[in-house]
Amino acid sequence: MTIARSLRFRLLAGAAVWVTLALAVAGFGLSELFRAHMQDQVEAELNRNLDQLSANLEADDKGAPTLRQALSDPRFQRPLSGLYWQIDGAGGTMLRSRSLWDAVLPPPNGVQMRPHRHAEFGPDKQFIYILERNVTLADRDLSFHLSVAIDLADAMAASADFDRVLVLSLAVLAAALIAASVVQVQVGLQPLAALQHELAEVRKGGRRRLTDEGPREVSPLVKDLNALLGRTEEGIARARLEAGNLAHALKTDLAIVSNDAGALSGPQARAIRERLAAIRRTIDRHMARARAAATHGVPGSTAAVADSAAGIVRVLRRLSEEKDLVIETEVPADLVFAGDRQDLDEILGNLIDNACKWARSRVLVSGRAAAGRLTVVVEDDGPGLADDVRDAVTAPGVRLDESVPGTGLGLAVVKEFAGLYGGRLSLDRSPLGGLRAAVELPAV
Amino acid sequence: MRLLVVEDTPELGEQLVQRLTAEAYAVDLARDGEEGQFLGETEPYDAIVLDLGLPRIDGLSVLKHWRARGIATPVLILTARGAWHEKVQGIDAGADDYLAKPFAMEELLARLRALIRRTMGHSAPVLTCGPVTLDTRSGKVAVAGEAIDLTAYEFKVLDYLMHRQGQVVSRTELTEHVYAQDFDRDSNTIEVFVGRLRRKLGNDLIATVRGLGYRLGPAA
Repeated sequence: MTIARSLRFRLLAGAAVWVTLALAVAGFGLSELFRAHMQDQVEAELNRNLDQLSANLEADDKGAPTLRQALSDPRFQRPLSGLYWQIDGAGGTMLRSRSLWDAVLPPPNGVQMRPHRHAEFGPDKQFIYILERNVTLADRDLSFHLSVAIDLADAMAASADFDRVLVLSLAVLAAALIAASVVQVQVGLQPLAALQHELAEVRKGGRRRLTDEGPREVSPLVKDLNALLGRTEEGIARARLEAGNLAHALKTDLAIVSNDAGALSGPQARAIRERLAAIRRTIDRHMARARAAATHGVPGSTAAVADSAAGIVRVLRRLSEEKDLVIETEVPADLVFAGDRQDLDEILGNLIDNACKWARSRVLVSGRAAAGRLTVVVEDDGPGLADDVRDAVTAPGVRLDESVPGTGLGLAVVKEFAGLYGGRLSLDRSPLGGLRAAVELPAV
Repeated sequence: MRLLVVEDTPELGEQLVQRLTAEAYAVDLARDGEEGQFLGETEPYDAIVLDLGLPRIDGLSVLKHWRARGIATPVLILTARGAWHEKVQGIDAGADDYLAKPFAMEELLARLRALIRRTMGHSAPVLTCGPVTLDTRSGKVAVAGEAIDLTAYEFKVLDYLMHRQGQVVSRTELTEHVYAQDFDRDSNTIEVFVGRLRRKLGNDLIATVRGLGYRLGPAA
């Protein structure tokens, strides 16, 4: 079933059937043509000899046939040469060519204008071809039956030779034609193979669009695919933008209400502030989710980890100028994330920001690749986390220390994004003393 | 210290102006990118609070415009766009700090203070000159450990001079950094404030450099 659905198989099978059929018909036709030609030649030769025999025919005094002159073809003189004549006269008189030796041509079989075959003649049981004619010598009122015969062995051998050569050359031709059609199919289907290769690259994230340089037949498909890719990208960008606009508008209003609530005091004011904080976390979490979910559908996005990390570190160096931190990055330049740059920024931003908040003096960002995956490790020399709270910190809204500003969302966002890309976040103790956060992600 | 706030949401703009004014800043408010860009390149601000989603010209373009013109005023971006790639864009465009909405007003104030302090070359939050100390976090002034009460304008003048210790500050410069744009300025009042400061903090704290202006502490 699957092989019948292969375009290559269909084209090749079609070509093979067609070539075989066409060559078989041609071979049969050529062979018949050659046979007919041979027969014509033999017939002409017999006719010529019969004419000559008729012209030389005379009768002696007793009415027995004689020849005025021997026939010109020397084969009539050589015994069993394959060319014979015989004249039957009235009353059993008979005259034969020397070549017949002891043999006698078969008795007349009626009078036929066309030559006819006769099998198993002579000592070698050959096929012969006989042409017969009745000749009447008008002046003597004598009637004779003239026969000329030729052995068919030579003609048959020539015909068999021809057939052998014909079959052989047609077989070679068939092989050559089928080989040519294999090449043709290969060349013809090459654009499809290239398309498949490029699509695989798009899926893996190596490219965003297909190159439209293929033949006219494939070009519309490529254009449609590219349009589809473009529409997907556009739709996602618009969805992102709208979600972003909504979040920005809400956050600005939230800022206003928060500021107003900040001026109030009492248990009610505290309740309001807590709800506002919860609203903010909800917005942030769902924004992150919406963005990550949207990105996940975009094929073909990649991001260099080193670039992303460098950008985040630039920001954090600036934002933590008060703290006098050393932020080191050891990320190889060829480490490429198979996903969206903004998502990677979000993952690294939250991880490194978290490390900067807790570090005493040093943050180390490193990365390595292994078997299609990449791991980014962010370590700090801060207080770290006790073993029993490590799981808790990745839940949204959990803040272990209310004195350090933040939404308590950082590690939860990282976990969320990593999960969407089929990766994971693991927390451990760093040799530097603080937290060691390792996030595993798909690599290009 | 004089600030520019570029914020298009009217309520938030008002809140910011009110709170910053209460913290003894002279505050100008611009409601769109065009006005903000103009004010930022014509007035001598000590810091700028810049929103990103602005009408007419977006905040990032305004910031890039300023930096391209060589305007080095410290800029704090205050925006609802809190994603990390947006922070990277903001910092790369030349911002000095980035705060995402919704924000705690106290954090904004702390960051502005630190930003202004760093820009003027002070690393500690408490500025000292002789016996006089000014805590930028609380706005408290003390002479030899004894708290001194100052009016808002006296504080503004002292605050600016403390940040610019050892440098000669002209009366015009002081005026520009103490009053907001739409205020009816009278440079003579500066003389009055300096006089009062001398009475409260000691006569030899602020020196008059004839024809040029004032200098707090020994020449740098």
